[in-house]
Order: sequence, then C-alpha cells, then structure tokens
Amino acid sequence: MVTRTTDLAVELCGIALHTPLLPAAGTASAGVMSANADIFGAVVSKTVTLKARPGNPPPRVAETPSGMVNFIGLQNPGLEAFVQNLGNFDSGVPLIMSVAGDTVGEFVGLCRRMAVEGRVSAVEINLSCPNVEHGGLLFCAGPESVAEVVAACRDALPGKPLFVKLTNEGVLRNSLAAEEAGADALTLINTVPALTVDARERRVLVKGGLSGPAIKPVALRAVYEVSRAVEVPVIGCGGVARGTDVAEFMLAGAAAVQVGSGSFAREPREILGEFAVYLGEMGLTARDLAGALGEAKPLSGW
Amino acid sequence: MKLHPVEVISRERYGDHVRIQYLWTGDPPQPGQFVMVRAAGHGLDPFLSRPLFAHDYEEGDVASLLVVVRGRGTALLAEEGSALLVSDPLGRGFQVTEDGPVALVGGGVWVSPLKLLARSLRRRGIEHDVYLESPAAASGAYLGFLKENFPGATLIETAGGTGSAVFLDWVGDLARYESIYVSGTAETLAAARSAAAGVVPAQLAVRERMACANGSCYGCAVPVWAGGEMVYARACVDGPVFEAAALAW
Ligand SMILES: Cc1cc2nc3c(=O)[nH]c(=O)nc-3n(C[C@H](O)[C@H](O)[C@H](O)COP(=O)(O)OP(=O)(O)OC[C@H]3O[C@@H](n4cnc5c(N)ncnc54)[C@H](O)[C@@H]3O)c2cc1C
Ligand SMILES: Cc1cc2nc3c(=O)[nH]c(=O)nc-3n(C[C@H](O)[C@H](O)[C@H](O)COP(=O)(O)O)c2cc1C
Ligand code: FES
Repeated sequence: MVTRTTDLAVELCGIALHTPLLPAAGTASAGVMSANADIFGAVVSKTVTLKARPGNPPPRVAETPSGMVNFIGLQNPGLEAFVQNLGNFDSGVPLIMSVAGDTVGEFVGLCRRMAVEGRVSAVEINLSCPNVEHGGLLFCAGPESVAEVVAACRDALPGKPLFVKLTNEGVLRNSLAAEEAGADALTLINTVPALTVDARERRVLVKGGLSGPAIKPVALRAVYEVSRAVEVPVIGCGGVARGTDVAEFMLAGAAAVQVGSGSFAREPREILGEFAVYLGEMGLTARDLAGALGEAKPLSGW
Repeated sequence: MKLHPVEVISRERYGDHVRIQYLWTGDPPQPGQFVMVRAAGHGLDPFLSRPLFAHDYEEGDVASLLVVVRGRGTALLAEEGSALLVSDPLGRGFQVTEDGPVALVGGGVWVSPLKLLARSLRRRGIEHDVYLESPAAASGAYLGFLKENFPGATLIETAGGTGSAVFLDWVGDLARYESIYVSGTAETLAAARSAAAGVVPAQLAVRERMACANGSCYGCAVPVWAGGEMVYARACVDGPVFEAAALAW
C-alpha cells in the first residue's frame, strides 16, 4: 500500500500528477489503467494511428534475459474508433494520448484532432515508426526528420503539451532537435531493436523491440545525458520494475517515470509502494529527487 | 499482474507430467480458463510469468495444474519445494450449453482443462464422452494418470505426426454430438477444426505466447474472422477458448 503521508506529487508541463509513475504507451489497457488511477499520475494510451492497423502475425512476444522482445505492430482500431471510446479513459487522472503516423501530414492530422478533444491533456508522439515518404526511414532516424515532424505537430496542437518519444539511437542529437522544434517534454526511451532466435527450429523467433530491466541502464544513460542538455522535462522509460528504479530515473533527471513491461511481471501498485517506502526511508519527497545525483566516487569501507 | 502466494499441497509426477495441487480460496476457475504462475524467490528471472490451464478445482479449495517441463520456467514450477505465485483465473473458457451429448477430445499435457470441464459437465448432468490421445511413446505413468483422472474415457492409440487426424477418425461421426470441446496438440486442434466444420459446433483451447495476460500488450494474437475480415484477437482475454469456426487459421 502506498503511504499517503509520503509526498509523491510532481508537475509535468503544468499538469499536476499525484504520483510520478505513468504507464508506458501500449503496455496497459484502459481497464488496467482505470483500476490503477490511484497510483498512476496520469494514463497514457496505446499508440493510435489515423487508420486501423491489424498488427503483426504471431509470434509477437519472446522472453529474453531480464526482459522481452515485442513485435506487436501498433495494432489499434484507428483514430475515429478510438476517439469514440475515449470515455474508457475517464479515470480521474489526466490522459496523455500516444499517436503515430506514416507521414508528417498524418501526425499533424492526429494532433489537430487531439487539440480539440477535451479529455486529452497532452499528446505523446511516437517517432519510432517509419516515414513512408522517406523510404521507410524512422521519424527518429535523425535530427532533421525529428525537427520536421515535431515543428509540424507543435503548430497542430495549440494549447496542449507535446511530448516527443524517442528511441536510444542518436538520442542526444534528436532530443536537442525536438526541443528546438518546440517539444514540451521528451519521453526516453522506446524499445531497443533486438532479435531472438530459436536455435532448435533454426528460425527467427521474434524480431522487434527489447524492453524490460535489460534496457534500464541504457535508458538511464539517455535520461541522464539528455536532461543535462535540454531545458524541457524528460520522462524516463525503460526497465522500471521496482521502486528504486523510479528513484534512479528521477535522480538521473526524469520529471516523471513510465513503467511498461515491468507491469507484466509485477504490479505497478507494488512498484509505487516500494518507491514511497524508499522516499520515506530517505526522508525525501518525489520532487526532491529531480536530478539530485552526485558523481561516481571510489567505494570505501569495503 | 497481481499474483498471490499460494500453499502448494502436493507435486505428483506421472512420467513427464507433474500435477501441482495448491490451496485456492479466490474465484473458482471456470473450465478452459488459465492462470499465470511463477516460482517465488527468483526475483524477475525468468522475467515473465507462465500461462497454465486450470486443471481442476474441488470443493475444499484445492486447485490443480498439470505441467510438462519445457524450459527453465516450467522446471522451476515443477521443482520440489518451490513456492508458487499464482494469478486469479483468467480468460474466457469453454462456453457450455445445456444440451448433451457432447464430446471432449484431447491429448498431451493439453488434456489439462478437460478435467475441470468433465467435472462441471458431470455436476450439471450433461452427457459427455471423452476421447484422449494415447501416443505410442507415452509413459505408463501418464497413461495411468489419464485412466485415473478420466474414468470411462476412450484412449486412442496414435503414432504421433499424422496421428491427430487418425485420432479424430476414431471419435467417429461427430454429428451425433451437440458440441465438441478440444484441447490437444496444434495438429489435433487443426484436425478438429476441419473435421467439425459444418458438422458440429466445436470449441478449441488455443495457446499463444503471452506477456501481460490481461489484454494490455496484444502479444498473444490469434487470427479470427470478424464480419468476413481477419483480425487478431487476444488469447488472454478473448480466449484461450475460441469457436473453431471463428479461427482464421
Ligand atoms: C493459455 C495457455 C495455457 C497453457 N496451459 C498449459 C498447461 O496446462 N500445462 C503446460 O505444461 N503448459 C501449458 N501452456 C504452455 C506453457 O505456458 C509453456 O510450456 C511454458 O510457458 C514454457 O515455459 P518454459 O520457461 O518452461 O519454456 P521456455 O521455452 O524457456 O519459455 C520461453 C518463453 O516462451 C514462452 N512459451 C514457450 N512455450 C510456450 C507455449 N507452448 N505456449 C505459450 N508460451 C510458451 C514462455 O512462456 C516463455 O515466455 C499453456 C500456454 C498457454 C498460452
Ligand atoms: C508490448 C509492448 C507494446 C508497446 N507498444 C507501444 C506503443 O504502442 N507505443 C509506444 O510509444 N511504445 C510502445 N511500447 C514501448 C514502451 O512504451 C516502452 O517505451 C518500452 O517498452 C520500454 O519500457 P519498459 O522497459 O518499461 O517496457 C511497447 C512496449 C511493449 C513491451
Ligand atoms: S498477453 Fe498481453 S494481451 Fe494477451
């Protein structure tokens, strides 16, 4: 149980979050998020695209040491069907909509729609998807491509914060480009490209994105480097599975923290509970953690 | 996913198969539902919990699982003395109508959910026949387990490989049943689906790799027909039991 005496509240782009813990896009159903609205500071939708996407054929998930690889393929019912069911997200905490497009124009269309959607507090653009107008190169493949889509989305989303979600590759340059183009916050990181192999069948098992504790050090490094280089808040994501992971991300510079695959193996409620215990033991509030990280020093007393 | 520490009452070995009994005071599992299970005391290694069918549930709060060791996850579950964490019963199981006779068809470790199904049919007085695959390579201990747990079942010798189609031949004219409920190897499921098409409604217990087991991740995709179009359903919430005719295999 989360001790209510612990001050967990943080603020993100003017949005008050009663805890710094959020679900990572695509890892919590509306039902799971509603059931956890008392422990999530806000909820984040699965990535929605303009048109429905059927998703990839199975197998879509494979376990790895300390994590998993997924190849879901953004299965979703498309914008209009999704918006009709937005009421499912009325959980009492702010809703952050994750969106993705095939083209800059699609991103713009999605943002315009979200701009007028009263239930949506902020938009997170998922740039780990191919730009069909640029030979299928990912939107987050380089700073120019990031700047173009972020600037267009910023114009299309008046009055609401725009979060830009990036993958680890080139994260510093891409983050600087996103900030320059008007991003209000950066979500770091999306899954890491990965492959699993079935040696007995001599076949690829799943080629997709790695998540879970295996990528935590990579994500922490990204948050650490980027939060020192930009002014906008950074939302940490990657491998959170216990309370101290939340603390580590905030110490490294994250204003809020997302949990994805960790919530498959454990309950986010337990993770937040552990985080509250940590804060209690340290005599700190969540806000005290922000970037309050000393440099490495030689160990003594061993 | 919320997991509950449970008290393991017994682990009995029948060849490659292990029956695990544990105390369960939560929601009673319905036939065809599954649970997520992990061995306590190993932190997050392996990372994901393992899906297993609810094998049986008796008054007196004893639930059981039937497990075959495949890799590290199931090896830890089967290990003597290993404490377990188990979820509530999950998913959509067999949808049983009031009319008999019905047939239960299964093989391998996948016979697991048929035990609870047979128990529920018996309690409701629905006439049912049980057909179980008895592969040439199966251990005497496992066959003994089948005979003890499915009294009156017809055991059909199969040779593996193409055995499943032959096996369904043995079940005979499916039209004499109101419904068939199948939980067997992938080959048996496929054979049952084609044999039942246009003859008798069939429900199949399908498996797919899972991560969240609560409908969040879309990892457990099963192709199904919806309004003439192929879409991916989720085995963990839309299944694991599907109408055979709905499966777009
Ligand atoms: C709905 C459902 C019900 C099941 N019921 C039973 C049961 O009653 N008894 C039983 O013995 N087994 C059952 N299984 C299969 C069981 O989940 C796998 O054998 C087990 O996950 C293998 O784990 P492992 O660590 O031993 O093997 P590994 O091969 O090391 O597992 C690696 C990863 O692959 C996954 N995986 C491997 N094989 C399967 C499989 N056949 N199905 C799903 N995931 C797999 C594991 O969960 C894990 O994430 C069921 C599967 C599903 C989906
Ligand atoms: C099954 C699954 C589905 C995901 N779907 C999305 C998605 O729709 N949009 C997105 O931006 N990220 C998606 N992600 C990435 C996560 O949001 C997150 O960035 C990544 O998994 C790292 O965090 P974690 O280690 O806590 O899981 C998905 C991850 C997983 C495991
Ligand atoms: S296992 Fe995640 S949706 Fe089924």
